[in-house]
Amino acid sequence: MGVDGKVMSSKEAISRFVHDDDELVIGNYTVGTCAELVYEIVRQGRKGFTLYSQSGIFDVEVLIGAGCVDRLITTYVLRAGGKKGGSAVERALNAGILKIEDYTNFQYNARLVAGMHGFSYSQVLEGAMATDLFRKRGFMGENKFRVIKCPYTGKDNLTVPAANPDVCIVHVQRADKFGNAQYWGALGSVAAAALASKRIIVSCEEIVEHDIIQSSPHLTIIPAYRVDAVVEVPWGAHPTEVLGYYNLDMLMYGLFMMSDGTADGLKAWMDEWIYGCADRAAYIDHYVQKFGNKGLDGIKAKPYYSAPANYGSAFTTRWDREGKERNMGLTLGEFEQTLKERGKLYE
Amino acid sequence: MSKPYTLQELLVIAVAREIHDHENVILGVGLPTTAGAVAKALYAPHATLMMESGIIDFEPLLPLNHIADAQSCRGFSYATDLFSAFTMTYRGFVDVCFLGVGQVDKYGNLNTTVIGDYNKPTIRLPGSGGAADFLSYAKRTVLTMLGGNFVNKLDYFTSPGYLEGGDSRDKSGLFPEGTGPTMLLSTKGIFRFDSVTKEMYLAQIHPRVTIEAVKKDVPWDLKIAPDLSETTHPTDVEIDFIRRFAPAMSAGRELSMELMILNMLKQFKT
Repeated sequence: MGVDGKVMSSKEAISRFVHDDDELVIGNYTVGTCAELVYEIVRQGRKGFTLYSQSGIFDVEVLIGAGCVDRLITTYVLRAGGKKGGSAVERALNAGILKIEDYTNFQYNARLVAGMHGFSYSQVLEGAMATDLFRKRGFMGENKFRVIKCPYTGKDNLTVPAANPDVCIVHVQRADKFGNAQYWGALGSVAAAALASKRIIVSCEEIVEHDIIQSSPHLTIIPAYRVDAVVEVPWGAHPTEVLGYYNLDMLMYGLFMMSDGTADGLKAWMDEWIYGCADRAAYIDHYVQKFGNKGLDGIKAKPYYSAPANYGSAFTTRWDREGKERNMGLTLGEFEQTLKERGKLYE
Repeated sequence: MSKPYTLQELLVIAVAREIHDHENVILGVGLPTTAGAVAKALYAPHATLMMESGIIDFEPLLPLNHIADAQSCRGFSYATDLFSAFTMTYRGFVDVCFLGVGQVDKYGNLNTTVIGDYNKPTIRLPGSGGAADFLSYAKRTVLTMLGGNFVNKLDYFTSPGYLEGGDSRDKSGLFPEGTGPTMLLSTKGIFRFDSVTKEMYLAQIHPRVTIEAVKKDVPWDLKIAPDLSETTHPTDVEIDFIRRFAPAMSAGRELSMELMILNMLKQFKT
């Protein structure tokens, strides 16, 4: 497969790289979630995931509502409508069809950071040993945490095992066709989630020329050689926000939150907005048809550009304007003559 | 006498006054971020506002939707990742943080994970998020309790306050000495922790609230500060700032949601 072969539709990317029973990680944290990739997984009816989610929002809710997830590793679960409301996570736990393991934000992230660097575990902050996070074990049992003695200080260190999920789905602002993925804003745990994983599917607001990436490498959080698929999908994170592209859509978010409190409500919402729309373009068409253009126009970002960082240097060739090598002061011809005279050349 | 204020405005100001100039501050979503904006604008211009999503040293222009909301400011000074936001807390660089409360016991230990059984929850709450690690290592922690409960025993022990009270937190060897919760704000009063027993007591009471009304919510024999005072009224400057910056916060969640839905329905019809 050539590098150009990485650019594909969400349908192709999910069908090729996300399998039943995978360990799946949602790479985004709170903002700019990979909504289209999540919806496509739901549409394709994948089953049996162990799902890693740092901060669950509607992404986790719809995956669980659709019955894709058997086990959830998380630090934060969405709840719709306060005390009186509910969530797909809560309903699935009570129905006995979901198992859950709770970590803190840091512990969860540390598992991915360890995985990203190829280590087998990571030290985490020992204060949690006083809490039920440490004492109460879910499906990971003894392997949720282990305590080891630090060989240098002799103190007890709390550790978590590395995580290397099978596949990461992640949305970013822009990427090139090779897969170099650029993301800025709240960095959260996005890079670690992607780089810890065995396969990576990147969706982006736009595919840009490689030159754009090359002149701003500080924004690249996933390098091309790690990426399996690149999906260009404008509004791909809606109704969450993408810095520099669009804000949170309170209308759609509100509609979701009003629906998510009951199983029937969530099902009706998913029938309309996930199963009822073949892809993101159809979803946006449906949105505009139903609510008009005003909503989306009102949340488009106005520009506030980062000051360019100068990646330039004094020269880009060893040969100066007169054709002489900058340090040795010789033209190419003189240089070759010298090599010959000094007996460095062989026939 | 200052101009009339809402309960929410009183609460925001009580929290904002816990932020001092030149401090490093971790803000949680909701009331604390508004309080952070008030403090930064009015009394702590050199405070460094931070969020665990890695947005460090920002000046909020809008109320934040959540702790990764880079849209609510115009850029920021330092973009780091979540891992580093916690290791800098671990190393002692965070002066004060703010956490919400599901259940709290008399020693300021928190549950934000579950009401009822862990595996068959009556109410599944969000979970720890950053709470357990922040309460472990920030120098001070302010607890904001708008909908939570005081209990004798937590259904799930998410985040460590003063453990069993007295010197048990310091003696555990798990936490830097002197750290822990320093204040709890409820809709009825401000609570602080006894310097020796570490038991929570009522330090200030909000206007129009009786001690009996406060005690009704607390299942243990709540101690009252001998010098109990009334929570300070917000000043006109503070009220004006909050109303301009976060009008929905001034109105409170219920009223602002009601007004928002009304407005959206109106827009649909036209």
